[in-house]
Amino acid sequence: MDIRLSGVSHFYQQTEVLRDISLEIPSGRIVCIVGPSGCGKSTLLRLIGGLERPSAGEIHQLGTPPTDCLNPLTYIFQDFALLPWRTVRGNVSLVLEDHGIRGKAAAEIIDDVLARTKLSDFAEALPKQLSGGMKQRVAIARALAVNPAVMLMDEPLSALDSQTRELLMDDLIALWSRTPFTAVYVTHNLAEAVRLGHSIVVMSRRPGQIREIVHLDTPLQQRGLGNAEMDEKQKYLWQLMRDEARAADAELIDV
Amino acid sequence: MISLNRRKALALMGGTIAAAGLSTPALSQGRKITVGALRFTSHSASFIALQRDYFKEAGLDVELKFFQASTPMAVAIASRDLDYAVTAMSGGLVSLADKGAVKIIGGALSEEAGIDGQKYLVSDAAFQAGVTSPAMLDGKKYGITSAGSSFHYMGSKLAQKEGITMSFKPLQKVGAIIGALKSGQIDAWSIVPHIAKPLAGSGKVHIIGNVSDYIPDYQVTTVFTSAKNAADERGMTGDFLAGFSRGVADYNATMIDHAHGDDGVAAMVDLIHKYVYADRPREKAAKSIINGTMRLNEGAALNIASLQDQLSWYQSEGLAKDSITLDTVVDASYVKTLG
Amino acid sequence: MSELSNQNEMHQVPFRGGGFAPTARRGVGLAVFLLLIALTELGTQTGFITPLTLPKPSDVLKTFGELYSSGLLWQHLSVSLSRLLVGASLGASVGIAVGVMIGLFSYVRAGLLPLVAALFPIPKIALLPLFVIWFGIDEGSKYALIAFGTFTPTVVATYGAVDNVDRGLIRMGQSFNLSWWSIVRKIVLPGAMPGILSGLRISLAIAIILLVAAEMLGAEYGIGAYILEAGSLYDLERLFVGVAILSILGVTLSACIGMIERRLLRWRV
Repeated sequence: MDIRLSGVSHFYQQTEVLRDISLEIPSGRIVCIVGPSGCGKSTLLRLIGGLERPSAGEIHQLGTPPTDCLNPLTYIFQDFALLPWRTVRGNVSLVLEDHGIRGKAAAEIIDDVLARTKLSDFAEALPKQLSGGMKQRVAIARALAVNPAVMLMDEPLSALDSQTRELLMDDLIALWSRTPFTAVYVTHNLAEAVRLGHSIVVMSRRPGQIREIVHLDTPLQQRGLGNAEMDEKQKYLWQLMRDEARAADAELIDV
Repeated sequence: MISLNRRKALALMGGTIAAAGLSTPALSQGRKITVGALRFTSHSASFIALQRDYFKEAGLDVELKFFQASTPMAVAIASRDLDYAVTAMSGGLVSLADKGAVKIIGGALSEEAGIDGQKYLVSDAAFQAGVTSPAMLDGKKYGITSAGSSFHYMGSKLAQKEGITMSFKPLQKVGAIIGALKSGQIDAWSIVPHIAKPLAGSGKVHIIGNVSDYIPDYQVTTVFTSAKNAADERGMTGDFLAGFSRGVADYNATMIDHAHGDDGVAAMVDLIHKYVYADRPREKAAKSIINGTMRLNEGAALNIASLQDQLSWYQSEGLAKDSITLDTVVDASYVKTLG
Repeated sequence: MSELSNQNEMHQVPFRGGGFAPTARRGVGLAVFLLLIALTELGTQTGFITPLTLPKPSDVLKTFGELYSSGLLWQHLSVSLSRLLVGASLGASVGIAVGVMIGLFSYVRAGLLPLVAALFPIPKIALLPLFVIWFGIDEGSKYALIAFGTFTPTVVATYGAVDNVDRGLIRMGQSFNLSWWSIVRKIVLPGAMPGILSGLRISLAIAIILLVAAEMLGAEYGIGAYILEAGSLYDLERLFVGVAILSILGVTLSACIGMIERRLLRWRV
């Protein structure tokens, strides 16, 4: 299932946050969206997932999601959004219950996704007992449980320390390599973008517009640390963004 | 201090030479005392004694303090914020007497055969259902302010005499009881005539009997003071009772025996109206005040038999300790005793 | 200058970080309590404290023993507890329901919030005579008074707690297509539970206060009636027995809520 945005603009009251965004998100690819703070990237993600309605323009799903897909557009949040009163297993179970999946069928799915995110030993733990990285793995397991057509990831690693971030990026790459998934990955971290993105959408400051789309052809598995080509791309992206970021920073002071 | 008091007393006496010549010798010489009262006609003796300078002539400079209920008045005596007051011998009063705080020294209001006294009332609902005499109150709800109050005593004596049982509902305040009786939440109550009659006039309650038929010679209210005043201030206490008794004598003579004719009654109503029903126009108040007339004990005489009966009843109900004797509660040395 | 000072001298760095961190000290509260009782006993035994001021603690204990052995304790306690139970559970459950509705629906909020704000400051005791007429002088008016008294604080605590539920979690629920009812049941209610329970603590204390008020009118039995009777008889021993029972009741209820909190809110950090 592909996602197509055509001429999407969005306003909060008088403030224009997104202007004329047209973008194609092809199946089985990870599209990263980078941009200075306040450029509307998180808003764009909420529009794609249907949590907000765009002021103008349209967002389409092309094709139908696979039949075993319970929740085609599935988010992963920066703050994990785990229910603190439910165990790891309970948090995953939450998103299955409403689809009438209980008992043995639910247990099979849960065991599977917990194994894939290496959480099998922590099924009965409460969120408060988990580290930040583990919490985000629970959120990923929860997302995997509904077999999403598109994963919408809103700065999923921003709340984590840099070591944990590296580990989790490895985990994401491993997951994608096993079964490629479609994802829109919003981040302000260029290193994450060049590690995970098949294409990287660079946005301007507010009102957010697409400045450039950079395509990376290197397979994800080969983009380890110290890869010269990746460094090159990251540098290039930074060139693109630096002035925007500085202007955006100044703009915030003006307000 | 003493010379100042003396001068003050002399000045006061000088101002009322004629009256002073008639009065008993002032032993207390203008002592300042506070007397507690409720705004009821049954407290008229204090009002009269104050207005007609009987206290002043007895050498006392009296200040009246008004209360809403008798219990706080008893507590105020115990805490010595008040010197003298008039109230019913409630369970609370007995308990305070047992703690060595208060003492009954005289009588104030009594039930007397032939004179309109307290009434038993029933709600209209109960009356319509056929409760037309006190004997028919079996199983009914009887309103009282609190356990051990005079209302409880009157209701219980009625039940005892008729051989019936009633459930007693404590409602704390007279106002609450009236509301509950009017709306039929409770079935019966007893109260002084000046409240009973207007209530019956409204048609929402009915008078079905006289308290005096069940409790003859009932000593309803008493004069009491702190145990310390009774024991150590005999002069002052005697003076107070002397002044108070002149008020009683005036009240009985004018209101009951009509010794001074209708003019006398009118003058007395004017006097009492300053304290009782002061918020109502005189004509309306006069009716209530005259309705409320009950004989006060001449010379503050005490009906010891009635008090003994009340104490025994409190003890039988577990509302007072069995070890308490009447001597603990009453100092009968000041006034004549009856019964 | 400091570099010129004597470098051979050696001091331990003084510790400055103590205090300001209360730690649990078991038994101190009980000791203070017992000390106060012992002082009172001493004072009343020696006559320093007159019987008019305070009763002897030993007499209070004896009175309690008599109350217990006469079987009247249970008679008073059982009616009071049932009034408390019926009234408080009625008030709290309706309060939670209304509070959740105010928290969830804009129209309910706009319609009921001013009403609740108007009801909150009314001293419920003032309405007792009215309740007697509406609900009868027997149990009805007592249930109503306690229910009404617990209702308003519960509503306020509940809608505040619902307002404070992490919006991120609700958005998460929506993003997974959970039904409205599922979101309320599995996200809003558990998320509001800490606030609701701490509101319940206050509501139950109010319920105990109102129990005494409710038993002012037409109650022959009950702890409140017992206290009021003791007060009007100026029977200090019984007064203190009654007050002590109420205190114990309050501590017990508070401990019960503490237990429920520990069970239900195990997940809290």
